[in-house]
Formats: sequence, structure tokens, C-alpha cells
Amino acid sequence: MNLGRLVRRHAWSHPVRAALTVGAVAVAIFLFCFLRSIVTSLDAAVSQSASNRIITASAVSLFQSLPSAYKGAIGAIDGVDSVSRMAWFGGRYKSEENFFAQFACDAEILFEQYPELLLSDEQKKAFIDDKRGAIIGIGLAEKWGLKVGDTVPLIGTIYPRADLRMWEFNIHGIYRSARANVDEMTMYFHFHYLDESLERGEAMGPRGTSVYLIRLEDGYRGEDVAYAIDAYYEGGPQRTRTQSEAAFQADFVNMLGNLPTFLGMIGAAVLIAIVFGIVNTMTIAARERLRSMGILQALGFSTSVPARLYLMESCAFALSGGLVGAGIAYFTQDTFRKLFGTQIPVFTVETDTYLWAAVICVVTGLIGGAVPAWRAARMRAVDQLRRGI
Amino acid sequence: MSEPVIRLRGVSKAYRKGGEELQVLDRLDMDVEEGEFLALMGPSGSGKSTILNLIGGLDDPDEGTIEVVGENVSQLGGDRLSAWRARHIGYVFQAFNLIPVLTALENVELPLLLTPLSKTQRREQAEYALQIVGLGDRMDHRPKQLSGGQEQRVAIARAIAMDPTILLCDEPTGDLDRDSADQVLDLLQRLTSEYRKTIVMVTHDLKAGETASRVLHLDKGVVESQTA
Ligand SMILES: Nc1ncnc2c1ncn2[C@@H]1O[C@H](COP(=O)(O)OP(=O)(O)OP(=O)(O)O)[C@@H](O)[C@H]1O
Ligand SMILES: [Mg+2]
Repeated sequence: MNLGRLVRRHAWSHPVRAALTVGAVAVAIFLFCFLRSIVTSLDAAVSQSASNRIITASAVSLFQSLPSAYKGAIGAIDGVDSVSRMAWFGGRYKSEENFFAQFACDAEILFEQYPELLLSDEQKKAFIDDKRGAIIGIGLAEKWGLKVGDTVPLIGTIYPRADLRMWEFNIHGIYRSARANVDEMTMYFHFHYLDESLERGEAMGPRGTSVYLIRLEDGYRGEDVAYAIDAYYEGGPQRTRTQSEAAFQADFVNMLGNLPTFLGMIGAAVLIAIVFGIVNTMTIAARERLRSMGILQALGFSTSVPARLYLMESCAFALSGGLVGAGIAYFTQDTFRKLFGTQIPVFTVETDTYLWAAVICVVTGLIGGAVPAWRAARMRAVDQLRRGI
Repeated sequence: MSEPVIRLRGVSKAYRKGGEELQVLDRLDMDVEEGEFLALMGPSGSGKSTILNLIGGLDDPDEGTIEVVGENVSQLGGDRLSAWRARHIGYVFQAFNLIPVLTALENVELPLLLTPLSKTQRREQAEYALQIVGLGDRMDHRPKQLSGGQEQRVAIARAIAMDPTILLCDEPTGDLDRDSADQVLDLLQRLTSEYRKTIVMVTHDLKAGETASRVLHLDKGVVESQTA
């Protein structure tokens, strides 16, 4: 027997009420973790971007492709170590509604430019050697049950085939990503294959590349090289816009508009709602316990004991709810990562988010307990005994 | 005669109700000897519970002094008062004495948390107190699962587990049938005769008054009469 047991008994004296309170906190904390993780995952993608890579796209719009012949000229610019092309394919997997990201790329240079792509050397080689080869992220592999040796049929939407059949790619590798800026939900295949098919009239669609990925030579600043590239194409044929990878990704995040602010507002509203909820529960509970609190003081317990009991109980509700909510967030990460795919590269609940959730729970618990605690502290034991039923 | 263990001198207490002042106690003098079993009787509203609250330091007088086991109670405050109360005062209320979410044993153990006793000692002492009141077989029952008389006996067990100097009982038999009431009265009687506890008991029950060693009749804030 100790006061902790009394707190536990009180907390569970109305199991339904306790469960609803804990459940409400759990939902709120889960939402908090979830919404914050959307923002932090997007931020991580931006901030983890490599500083030695820049991206050249059309100055007109991201959806406008650039001539694939720029490759040579860009490669000759001072500070450029390597250039590769990357074209957005936009195919659908098996049927129209199944979408994931696919890029046609210069496979040989890809791995050199993106050391974040983790893949065995044999798989890399097999991919590079097969004209119709492809690699996919582990996330995609899990989502669609794909494995090495499988063929991926894709419906060409931007690039329909002349024979009206599906494109077919052979999976030679499944990569993992070393950092948050590279997602695991993308398929890469050979730019040559796409270009050749267009050349031969086997498929239709825009020639050229969506972007050029440029790896800088050591000692060169991204801004300077970007400026040089854009200056070179100032007079056309198509003007370019070159940015650091981080800026490019940030642009993409900005396309989402005020999403972070909006999510923040939802989160705040939810948190305020649980504070109300827990204050309500504790106020009702305290009303039922006036007499018990009077008895405790008549037995010789300090006048501060009721306040302490309320604070402990309220924090117990908040922390158990928080634990459940954070647990749900933790165990559903993978599911959401797959669900979000490339929209939110590598959706992750950061340690920071859990710490914030813990802080929120403690604060919520203290506020919830503070209201009845304050009342109890102002009420004399005789009055608690007299007024309580 | 020894020094009185409880001594009230010129104690006045008034409540303000809707602008009107209600004089509950009017310069009351009262002494209780050690080991005495005193019954306080009087009409409803005559201030009996108020006296118990004043003796136990739960309430303060407007005027007068209250000395209990050598302490001026109204001058104690805060945690010193709580500690003093834990050491010297055992309360038994008219009804709803127990913490509903705790078992009988836990209720009795509760005040022992205020002592330096170990976990096992607390448990043993609580079990012993429940044996004394004849409830050794009801330790794990919640208050709701006990009869009114049993609840009252648990409350007495809780009060005596602390081995207090004084037991303050507010209508301990008020809600009980004759048999249960007699059991509770026997128990209180034994506590004075065998354990030399000082008991102040508020009651409306004439039979209860007879059990006591002395009866004070209270009316309009003053002692009306005394029977020994
Ligand atoms: N906190 C309070 N505020 C206002 N009036 C009070 C308060 N406490 C007690 N009283 C009044 O003081 C008077 C004495 O109360 P007390 O409880 O001492 O009476 P009592 O003799 O114990 O009566 P009963 O036999 O009904 O229990 C009553 O009229 C009561 O209404
Ligand atoms: Mg009374």
C-alpha cells in the first residue's frame, strides 16, 4: 500500500472514463507525431541534400524538358565533375491507377553521383549491362511484392508505345537509401533505352531530359557553377535554372504551399482539445473525491496531498495516452512511408518528435491536474468533508 | 485527578449564512480527562460536530483556546498540524468514512504511511487492528461490499491502528441498526477500558450515551447539563 496505489485505483475507478481519456490523448499525440513527421521528413529531405550536387532544369517550368544535347556543353563548364540526365517517365504499373516514380537516367553515372543508393556491385553491374534493366527501392519492392528477376510492366502515359503494348523492364537490383534525401520508392532505368525507342519510332513522347544532375568538382561552389550554366544558356535555345539539390527540393516543398503552417495549426488545435478533455476528466473526478480528500487530511496527511494526487493522476492519464499514441506513430511509420512514397521521401518519426510528445504530455498532465489541485488547495479539509458526498 | 487531555476555554464559533450570523458555540468551556469516554449529546445544529472539528484542528475557533495533549491546537498550522493530528487524533465519522477505491485493509494501512513503519510492519499492524474490530475475514473487501456496521468498524480499526491518544467519533452508530450499533459501542467501550483511549463521541443515541462514562448535553452553544 502506498499513495501510488491510491492514484492508480482512483484513475481506474471509472474504467470507461479512464479509457476514453487515455484514448483521446493517444489519438492527439499520434496526430501530433504524424503531422510533425510530415514536416520534419520534408525538411530532412531538404537539409540532408548533398551540397556537392546541383540540378539544372528548364527555366520555364519543371514540366518542360531540356534538350538532351546540353550534356556535353554542361560537362565542359568549369567545376562540373559529371553530368547525367534524368527524365520523368510517369508510367503506370500494370493499370492506370497504380502509380510510382520512375526516372530514365544515365545508369553508369547514377551510382557515382548518388552514393546514397546502396546496392551490391553485382546488382549494379547486372543493371548497367541490361539495356532494359532497372533497379527499384526497397519500399517499392515491399509495396508491390517485386523482387530481382521480375519484369515490371509499365503503361506509358507520357511515352506511349507505338505497338500499344506495355513497357517492360527487368529488375536487377533493389536499393536502400543511406539518407533521407533519397527515397526508397523510385525505379531507375536506362535513359538510352527510352531515347533509342523514341529515335526508332517505337514510342512517342518528348525528347530530352527533365533535369540534368551535376556533381561538382571539389573546391567549387554550387552557386558559382549554377550561375555559369545558366549564363551559358541565357540566350537559348532554352533557358535553364540551376539550383542546389537542397534548393530544388525546397522548391518542391514550397509547391505544397503553407502546408507546414497548416499542419501546425491542426496540431495545436488538437493539443488544446486534449488539454480541455483532461481538465474536464480531472474536474469531474475531483468533485467525486472531495470527501476522500477530506478524510486523508483528517487522518493526518498534509494539506498538499490532494493536490499532489490530482497532479499524479492527471499526468498518469496524459503519459499513458502519450505512450500509446507515440507507440502507434512508431509502429505505423513503415506503413506511412510506403503510402506516401515519393511525395514525402523517407517518412520518419524523429527522436525529437517523441521528446516533444513527452513534453506535451507532461505539460498537459500538469495543467489537467492543476485545476483540481488549485481548488483543493484553497478548500479547507472541514469543507471537503462537509461538502463531499 | 490528572491534567485534562482536552481543555476548551471560552471557545466561540460563529458562521455567517446569507448575511446572518449564526453563533454555534458561545464561550464554551470543556475538559476531558485522559481515558475518559465522553458522549456529546444535543439537538441537531447545536455544534457537536463543530466541537470535534475544533479538537482535531480541522477548524479554528473565533475566540478562546483549545489545548489538546498539551498543544495549543489553533496555533499549530500547516504540516506541523497534520503531523500532530496523525500522531494524536483518530477520526470516525458518521458515514462515508472510508476511501471507496481501497480495500478494508488498505484503508486501515493508509494512515500508517505517515509512520516510519516498514511495509510489512504496516501490514501486520493493519491486520491486527482489523482483528481487534472482528473483521479479520473481510480485509480484501471494498467498502461497498461491507455492511454499514462493518464499514464503521473498519473506520475504528483505521483510527486505532495509529494508536492515537484521542478518538473523535461523530455519530459512529447513527446509520446502524441496534445490533451493529451495540457491536460498535462495545468496541469503543473496550478501547477505553483495555487500551485507555480517550474518546469523545457525538451521538443522538441514548443507549450510546449510557455506554459512555460521562455525557455532556449541549444546546445553543453552551453546556446544558452533565451526567456522569
Ligand atoms: N461551513 C459552515 N458554513 C455555514 N454554517 C455551518 C458550517 N458548518 C456548520 N455550520 C452550521 O453550524 C451549526 C452547527 O453545525 P454542526 O455540524 O456542528 O451541528 P451538529 O450539532 O453536529 O448537528 P447534527 O447533529 O445535525 O450533526 C449548524 O447550524 C450548521 O448549519
Ligand atoms: Mg454533526
